[in-house]
Amino acid sequence: MLSLESLTKRYGDTLAVDDLTLTVRPGRVTGLLGANGAGKSTTLRMVLGLTTPTHGRALIDGMPYARLHWPLRRVGALLDAGRVHPGRTAVAHLRWLAAAGGLPSHRAEAVLDQVGLADVAGQRVRSFSLGMRQRLGLAAALLGDPPLLVVDEPLNGLDPEGIRWVRDLLRGMAAQGRTVLLSSHLLTEIALTADHVVVLGAGRLLADDSLEKIRKGHASLEGAYLALTASTTRHRGLGPAGGAR
Amino acid sequence: MSTTAPGLRAAVRAEWLRLWSVRSTPWALAVAAAWAIGLGLLDATSTVRGWNAMTAADRASFDAVGTSLDGLTIAQLAFAVLGVITATADHTTGTIDAILLAVPRRSHAYIAKVGTLGFVALLTGQGVALAAFLLGQAVLARQHLDVRLSDPSVVRAVTSAGLFLGTIALIGLGLGTLLRRSATALAAVVALVFLAYAVARTLEGWSYLPGKLVLSNAGDVIGQVHAHAARPRLPSLSQAYLDLAGYLIIALSLGAWRTRRDA
Repeated sequence: MLSLESLTKRYGDTLAVDDLTLTVRPGRVTGLLGANGAGKSTTLRMVLGLTTPTHGRALIDGMPYARLHWPLRRVGALLDAGRVHPGRTAVAHLRWLAAAGGLPSHRAEAVLDQVGLADVAGQRVRSFSLGMRQRLGLAAALLGDPPLLVVDEPLNGLDPEGIRWVRDLLRGMAAQGRTVLLSSHLLTEIALTADHVVVLGAGRLLADDSLEKIRKGHASLEGAYLALTASTTRHRGLGPAGGAR
Repeated sequence: MSTTAPGLRAAVRAEWLRLWSVRSTPWALAVAAAWAIGLGLLDATSTVRGWNAMTAADRASFDAVGTSLDGLTIAQLAFAVLGVITATADHTTGTIDAILLAVPRRSHAYIAKVGTLGFVALLTGQGVALAAFLLGQAVLARQHLDVRLSDPSVVRAVTSAGLFLGTIALIGLGLGTLLRRSATALAAVVALVFLAYAVARTLEGWSYLPGKLVLSNAGDVIGQVHAHAARPRLPSLSQAYLDLAGYLIIALSLGAWRTRRDA
């Protein structure tokens, strides 16, 4: 279980994430929605200890990420599939990661097999398409067989089979009782994958409810999302959001 | 499967795998070795050829160790570049995210990187210096100008030259960690290693102090056997070691300071 407590990040005059309190529960896929700049990625980076919050904290089963003894066995993360050294082979990338996380090195081959990259394990990442890099990023997230999965835009560059595969993977993980937090722009994909939806706008929590409740009274998740974010989107167009604070 | 949580040892193992799974590491070390040995051989050969035509003063200042290690001036650039890119590549490629996900304690991640690169660079530095020395002496022997490892101060000078190469790599690593961008960090390291020398020469009219603090002068002094006290613009032997330690500590501390800040 992942809980955010008044999580806040300020960059200069901008509140990237503004007093976010919510709980991400196991056994379901939680979709994280929001416009560009709504604070999704900053939130995920704070959850993973990569960005230090200005206020508040993010706890994984009661502990901040930086204090986890086995981080890769507790949390699997895919943030930006492009952030891999292009000169390393796929298997070399996963082997050093396994070593750093105290995992046996055969996990590297196991997850490459799981994501369908076994045939290109020895190729340098430079030659990979975006879709292959996404698969490699997911392999890294699965390395420690973690009970919590945090994935940011995992569908970028994937072909239809790949998208279907990621959806089944995430739903399967949730069905096993794991916690899955999926951030995406793709509303139709969230509608197909998530059970629960969290919507951010200008760094603030706009909604935190089940997919059905959020969709209620709207023709689609898109309609519900646009209605929810209308106020923050207009603010962003006119000037600094939340200026009255 | 181990039952204790991964700590510094796991981080070092990962750094070892990371270092050898990119081509730049063996390349930088091979280039350094080629320059060190090649230039040393050329210098020794030209000394042997020109010995009979040299003035008495030139002969008196001839340093058989220093001559065979002349190529290290260029080799140190390859070591510096290795140190810089080992640090900056993690930021420019974004690998730093994966490192910190696996090793969230940033001090561990940094110490592992410093320790692993330091070990490889110091060991390779020793090998390169020893090879350049032995091959250079083999050439100098034709004119009976060679010295042996058993001669006074020779082992000290050769191992110090190797130490200097390893230290330069770590200074590059510290500056790379501080500056995070390859171009900026490379410019800083070239300025430190090569340009500072020219600046110190310019300032000699006023003071010899800058010359005594320049990194490359310190490297020259510890990699030779001649007494340098007579040359006012160079640091003494003990000061040269202190210079080296000072640069190393400052560069690694700056890197450590920067790792505390978010990537």
